Amino acid sequence: MNDAPPVLKALQLTKSYRVGASRLEVLRGVDVELRPGEVRALMGASGSGKSTLLNLLGLLDKPDSGKLLLNGREVQNLGRAASSRTRASSVGFVFQQFQLLPELSALENVLLPRRLLAGWNWWGRRGNERRAAREALGMVGLGKRLRHRPAQLSGGEQQRVAIARALICQPPILLADEPTGNLDRGSSEEVLELLLRLGREMRSAVLIATHDSDVSARCDSIVTMSDGLVRLAEPA
Amino acid sequence: MTLLSLGLTYFRRRPLLLFSSVAIGLGVAVLFTVLAVMNGFLVELEKSIRSFSGDAVIENRYLPSREPFRFADYQAALAQVDGVQRLEPRLGWYALVGRRGGHAVTDPRSTDLSGMMLFGVDDAFANAEGDGATATGGNGDGAVPIPMRLGRQAAQRLQLEIGDELGLITFVQGGDGRPAPLRATFRLHSLLRTGRFDQEMDTAHVPRAALANLLQRDPPFTQVLVRTTPDADPLQVAEDVETALKKAKLALPGYPRTLTWREKGGTLLKAVENQRGMLSIVFFFIVLVAAYQLVATLTLTVTEKRRDIGVLRALGATPGRIVRFFVALGMVVTVAGIGIGLVLGQWLTSNLRTVEKWISGGERIFRAEVYKFEDIPVSVDPASVTLLIAATLAAALVFSLVPALRAARLRIVDSLRKR
Ligand SMILES: Nc1ncnc2c1ncn2[C@@H]1O[C@H](COP(=O)(O)OP(=O)(O)OP(=O)(O)O)[C@@H](O)[C@H]1O
Ligand SMILES: [Mg+2]
Repeated sequence: MNDAPPVLKALQLTKSYRVGASRLEVLRGVDVELRPGEVRALMGASGSGKSTLLNLLGLLDKPDSGKLLLNGREVQNLGRAASSRTRASSVGFVFQQFQLLPELSALENVLLPRRLLAGWNWWGRRGNERRAAREALGMVGLGKRLRHRPAQLSGGEQQRVAIARALICQPPILLADEPTGNLDRGSSEEVLELLLRLGREMRSAVLIATHDSDVSARCDSIVTMSDGLVRLAEPA
Repeated sequence: MTLLSLGLTYFRRRPLLLFSSVAIGLGVAVLFTVLAVMNGFLVELEKSIRSFSGDAVIENRYLPSREPFRFADYQAALAQVDGVQRLEPRLGWYALVGRRGGHAVTDPRSTDLSGMMLFGVDDAFANAEGDGATATGGNGDGAVPIPMRLGRQAAQRLQLEIGDELGLITFVQGGDGRPAPLRATFRLHSLLRTGRFDQEMDTAHVPRAALANLLQRDPPFTQVLVRTTPDADPLQVAEDVETALKKAKLALPGYPRTLTWREKGGTLLKAVENQRGMLSIVFFFIVLVAAYQLVATLTLTVTEKRRDIGVLRALGATPGRIVRFFVALGMVVTVAGIGIGLVLGQWLTSNLRTVEKWISGGERIFRAEVYKFEDIPVSVDPASVTLLIAATLAAALVFSLVPALRAARLRIVDSLRKR
């Protein structure tokens, strides 16, 4: 078991969407914790609110109520600019649709988060940053595909670029929303392998939303969503 | 890799953005050309006024009851004024000129007469009979015609060749104080070329001594032209001259008055300046309209790139960063447009005659009778070009802000969702 203090802690998060005249309550008081070096699976039926929760945890959206503590600091009420900066420094995302910028090469896609984090002193550091991005692509096995655009890569390769991009800033939190959902078995295996290995190496807190029990079986712990609530289930 | 290079990639791959550049470029080119031509007119106008009427001119007026001022008086009074290089006495007189042999000068109904401003000047009339000094111009036998340098356009209108004689009629004060007609004969010695159609149409230079003699004028000058040193500000010199004249008591109440070259330029100069201002405003609207379609093009780009914006925001780009990104993209489009415009404008201004021919099918649009100058004068003024660039950038900045703010307001979760 992992007894490091949680890097991210959600307390009684609620979120509802307005659908026409009525409200759809998706999260009804979710408590969840993520600890450094631990890989958690988030399971649940389609439409149960997994993506909604991940968006709140990653500060992409705001909860209706509840608290979100990042290293003990409340972040649920940060303004748009401050939450952007927090995302840049603390959260890495991997999406089901990869979400690479089609007009940039693999290397440039991986560099993006570094660029956004750097601000004005980017120019002096450019050389180092490029080296780091090359290494990150090397770690996901794409050291020879630096100049390729997303369209020139397979789905599995694109997702590996996305993983390199998510991890290049060594974020304490890595959120993956069905990272293998668009991949065949072989690629899924590689991508999952990378997420598990690199997440643990960097001691990131990893949360992987998935339908796939083969994926959740490889994680350290599993939480499941149903009825707008999250329950902890120890792996068998 | 920077966000700017992402912007450049968008720019390269979206023909629509390049069309925007071209549109801005066309507007800039037209305004650039208009400014260059208007400015050219002003520069040439200044040059011709200053060479023709001096950098400043002193009208030699005096009260009839007093002793007239002499040229030497002016020279003495102005010897110490900074920026004055030289003083030139000039004797101006109105007359009617016509071909000799016809009945122009004797028949008042003749349409062959041209009103002419005669200027008696001191520069040498080489090869003239007795360089004019002995010329009497009288009508009797043995009279020696006075040499004349006649405006080229006037000579053409009167169909005169060098060496031809021409008659002149004017009025002087007769013995009884009434105006008395005075006729004289001149010989076309050479043509006066200034490049200005109006000047070449109605002025002639003649030897000052001969003219003074003919008119029995004393003192033999009506004006003193002030030529300034090249680095002096002529308007300042004119002011200093006026002050010096007052000090030397060469100024009567209100007279003699020193006119600056700008005052000599009169309404023509002011009209051209006015026109430059008006045309700049009118043609800047073309640039504005061209820049305005940045709103449409960038909005389209924002819609098309909604997903990229969501990704950038998810990766930590602040809303401000997104605004800057799209404004920068607008600026890239605009700078490219300005570049195109300046190159095209430069080409247009240096090939105006060719362009004029294309547009009109060989006819001249800029006719000298209307535009005063034989050639279309062109002069690129760095200050107005700088202003043009700055105004274009400012307009583009404002227009880019609209779609940029829209992009920054997008909700991240919405923009990441698959359509
Ligand atoms: N912006 C929105 N407006 C209205 N309803 C929404 C919105 N986003 C999500 N929902 C609804 O909220 C519920 C939860 O959606 P969510 O995407 O979080 O589910 P999920 O568990 O990720 O599903 P899946 O496994 O299919 O990805 C769904 O019923 C969905 O229709
Ligand atoms: Mg989902």
